[in-house]
Parts: sequence; C-alpha cells; structure tokens
Amino acid sequence: MTSLRIFFIGGLMSYRAMFGWLNPWILVPSLVVSPICQILLFAFIGRSAGVGDDEFYVIGNALNYAAIPCLFAMGATIGGEREGHTLGVVLTTPARRIPLFLGRALPVIVNGWGVAMVGVLAGVLLLDVHVPGPAWPTILLVVMVASASCTGLGLAMGAVALRVRETAVLGNVVFCVLLVFCGVNIAVADLPGWMGAVGGWLPMTHAIEAARLLADGSTLGDVGGLVLRELGVGALYTVAGLSLLRWFEDESRRKATLDRN
Amino acid sequence: MSAVQAVDLKRTFRTRTGLLRRTAKDVEAVRGVSFRIEPGELFGLLGPNGAGKTTTIKMLITLLLPTGGSASVLGHDVVDDVREVRRRIGYVFGGDRGLYERLSAYDNLRYFSELYGVAPREQKARIGELLELVGLTGRERERVEGYSRGMRQRLHIARGLLHDPAVLFLDEPSIGIDPVGARELRATIGLLKEQGKTVLLTTHYMFEADELCDRIAVIRSGEIVAEGTPTELKQRVPGGRVLEVETYGVPEATVASVGEVGGVRSVAMEERGQQQVLILQCEPDAEVTQGVLARLGGVRVGRVVSREPTLEDAYVELVTRA
Repeated sequence: MTSLRIFFIGGLMSYRAMFGWLNPWILVPSLVVSPICQILLFAFIGRSAGVGDDEFYVIGNALNYAAIPCLFAMGATIGGEREGHTLGVVLTTPARRIPLFLGRALPVIVNGWGVAMVGVLAGVLLLDVHVPGPAWPTILLVVMVASASCTGLGLAMGAVALRVRETAVLGNVVFCVLLVFCGVNIAVADLPGWMGAVGGWLPMTHAIEAARLLADGSTLGDVGGLVLRELGVGALYTVAGLSLLRWFEDESRRKATLDRN
Repeated sequence: MSAVQAVDLKRTFRTRTGLLRRTAKDVEAVRGVSFRIEPGELFGLLGPNGAGKTTTIKMLITLLLPTGGSASVLGHDVVDDVREVRRRIGYVFGGDRGLYERLSAYDNLRYFSELYGVAPREQKARIGELLELVGLTGRERERVEGYSRGMRQRLHIARGLLHDPAVLFLDEPSIGIDPVGARELRATIGLLKEQGKTVLLTTHYMFEADELCDRIAVIRSGEIVAEGTPTELKQRVPGGRVLEVETYGVPEATVASVGEVGGVRSVAMEERGQQQVLILQCEPDAEVTQGVLARLGGVRVGRVVSREPTLEDAYVELVTRA
C-alpha cells in the first residue's frame, strides 16, 4: 500500500514540486509552439526538396518532440532535487526506490504523450495530413508507448544526475541523437546500416514506424511486433535507469559524490 | 541499549585533481570518533567548520559509509540495517534549502509523509499537530518560497518529525536565523526533549548548546577532544580566567605575538563590527594585561575586561589548543 501510494501520489506531488514554476506563459510556447515549428520546418523542407509527404514529417517530428518532456523532465526530477538540496533528505527516507523514482515517470509519460498528440493534431489542421478515424485510438496508444519508452531513457539520464549536474546539456545531445537515428525525418531504411542498427536500440524508432503505418491504414495487429519492440527497448532503458540509480546511490554513500560538483 | 553509538568511526575522502595526470589525495575527515547517546538525551556535537561534525552525522543517517569503525542507531547498524535506521531517524539541517519551494508547507509535509510511510488516515492529524508544534498553523497553505528563514527551519523540523522518529539529528538548525527565530527554535528543540526524543545537535552557538544539551562532545580535526556536561566542559578551563581586549585594526602577526605572552594559554580573535576582540585564556594568577598591551604597541585599544570562563571559552580553549 505504501509503495503504491508513493508511486501514484508521491509521483504526482514530486512532479508538481519540481515543475510548479512552469506557468502557462512558459509552458505553452515550449511544449506547443516549439514542436509545431519543428514539424512545419521539416514538412516544408520535405516539400521543397520533393521528398516524403507531410504525414511522414508530422508523425516523425510530433513523436520526436515527446522526447523533450520525457528526457528533460525525468532528468530534472532528480537533478532538480539535487540542486534544491532535497535529494539528500529524500534519500534518508525509508521509501522504496523503485516506486519512488518510477512514480515520477508517470506524469512525465502523460506530458510527453500530450506534447506528441498536440503535434499530430497541429499537423492534421495545418498541413496536408489525413489520419483515418479508426486509426486514432491505436495512434494514441502507440504514442503513449513511445512516450513511456523514451521516459525509460529519461530515467537513465536522471540516474546520471546523481553523479553529474549537467543533465540538461546531456539531454540536448540525446535529443539530437534521437532526431537523427530514429527515422524522424529520414526513414531508418534510408540511413546507413550502422545508423539504422543504432536506431533499433533507441526509443521512438519502432513507435514512429508503427504510427506511420497506422496512419496509412494498418491495424494494431499489423504493427504489433513494432509496438512490442518499442516496449522492449523502453523496458531495457527503465531497468538500466533503475540499476544506475541503485549504483549511483550506493556510490554516493561510498564516495560522497552527492556533495561534489 | 544506547540510542546512538559510534565506535572508532572513521571517514576518509579521496579527492582527485587534474584531467590528464590525475593525482589523488586522501583527506581524513573523521579520525576515530567514539561516543554514546542514551535514549532521551540531547547530545551536542561542537566543533569549528571542517571539524567533521556533518560527516559524522551523514554516516549516522546512512548517507555516507564509514571507512572505519562502526555505528548503530537504536541497535541497528548504519551500514547493514539501512532501512531500519532510516525508519527510526529524522534529519534536519540548517539553511534555506532542502524544501520544495513551489509547494505549500502542507504539501511538503504530505509528500514526506508518503515517503516516511505515515498511514493515510493519520497524515492529516499528524501534520496538524506538527504545524502547531512549530508554530506554522495558519500559514501552511502558503508556498515555501515566501517563508522567512526561521519559518523554513521550523518546517524542516516538522518534516523531520513526521514519522515520529525516536532519534533526531539536527545539523546546525539555527544557522542564519535572527535572534527571535533562534529563540523560538530553541523552544521547539526543548519541547522535543520533553517529549523524550533523543537528539544529536550540532551548532556553532555556545549559549544554545549550554542551554539545551545534556552532554557535549567537542570535535576538532576529526577527533573528539573533550566530552562531558556543559558544566564539566567549563571546568576544563581550570582556575583560569579570560581577558577580553577590544582592538581596532590589529594585524594577524600581532595577534600571534600576543599568544606568546607569559601566562596566556591561547588567544582567539572575534570580529565585532569594526572591532576585533582578542579573547585570551589566561593562567589563574598570571598578570598578563601589561604584557599584552605592550605587544599590541601602536594598535588602537578599547576596553579591557577580565571575566570568568564560559562554555564558549572552554570550546575556544579546546579547539585552539595545539
């Protein structure tokens, strides 16, 4: 019961505690205007270069932008605690670490999902994109899976915040890697083999492909393999993140790394 | 069974410098500290900055592993029984940080109630009691970012008490608080003692330690150099007396030379506005005033006062002794 409460209630309160500073004047431009701009940029580049269609760029970039909350918010949820000197207090509580840190992921997943869906909707409204009605529920689901999978990577990044302070800088690098390797603007099949192979081990890649297929009329059954692979990649990063959290917490006790810059 | 026990507790830090040619240096922060705190006792750990107080506390609250010796809280080893120790302790540190600024005081307490596993049905009543105890009733719905330092510090204490811990570690809780806030805080700590809590308190304010602590250990350079009741520690300045000399613009070298005057055991300098007050621990029958004034030479001197030693004098004597 305690762990469940820490997971749900604690996770939500922690999210409020870390991001209460975001008022709508900052939140709306950063999570609505920015992804729409990215979508428009690449869609028009695609049009002027005569490659791809609007739908390709809308789905790729909308899902890619979910990485902003998934990576940065997860990183900040631990890094911000360190900056505010609350992390030491949190770590002296007897709370189990898995629900404590996984609970923080839940609001982040919803946030990422919301950002991606705003992007998809904006694409439909502003560009030449048509998503068939029956595809919407499955796209909603796949976007949720993508967001969860990317939050797993964010958790691993957050774990690194127990050791280093520069997770925001790291977040920029990882976002760029996802943009290039996950088939956001260039299909994975068109990337050099090694880049495609790397993309296969990153979150988003399989979900982006699945969402494009769904928008083109495939069913959930047709893309089940891709969705499962996306879930698998997300689970891998989540386990890695939790293991890193455990390891860095132990190391902070051994080497006092929490006290260092 | 003691509430807290440290036996030959040690902590060494390895620091590395350089990017390509890395050089490592070991710093011994705590060098074999031993003490016991009995249940219900308020124990003070005093020492200058960098003496090892916070490092000792961090080992006792499981945030740091000792590199030598052992420690236990209510019979639970701080290395092996980490969760059991964490269930039974509260940790409060001084300063502005350590609270969620954008949450209200109430939400801060609610969040930590969850982390400490306070039963949902008890949370509201417990938070209400603690807000009352620390004098924040009526202000609990305000965001912490609007709180004064004293209010934050009292909220820290309420947070540390949420799960009704038997042992409380207070690391310089009154640092930077104005005199009224500090007095209120001392009253709160006094109430904890009345409730039977075991408290380990570190502070730089000697009158605070004198007023609150049952026993005190003085730590210097990672070692305990004295332990006893405040009265016993004052008696550590045997039959001595204290000479206070107000000066203006005294150079460091002159202060050192004053310490060489016959009959002077030690000298410490305290900045008080534009004044530098030299506090000299002297032998009981030594006549040092003339010798000291001679060493001060051209330095402008204000009042010269002779008085009985206080706990602060005992502390200064202990931490400045070579």
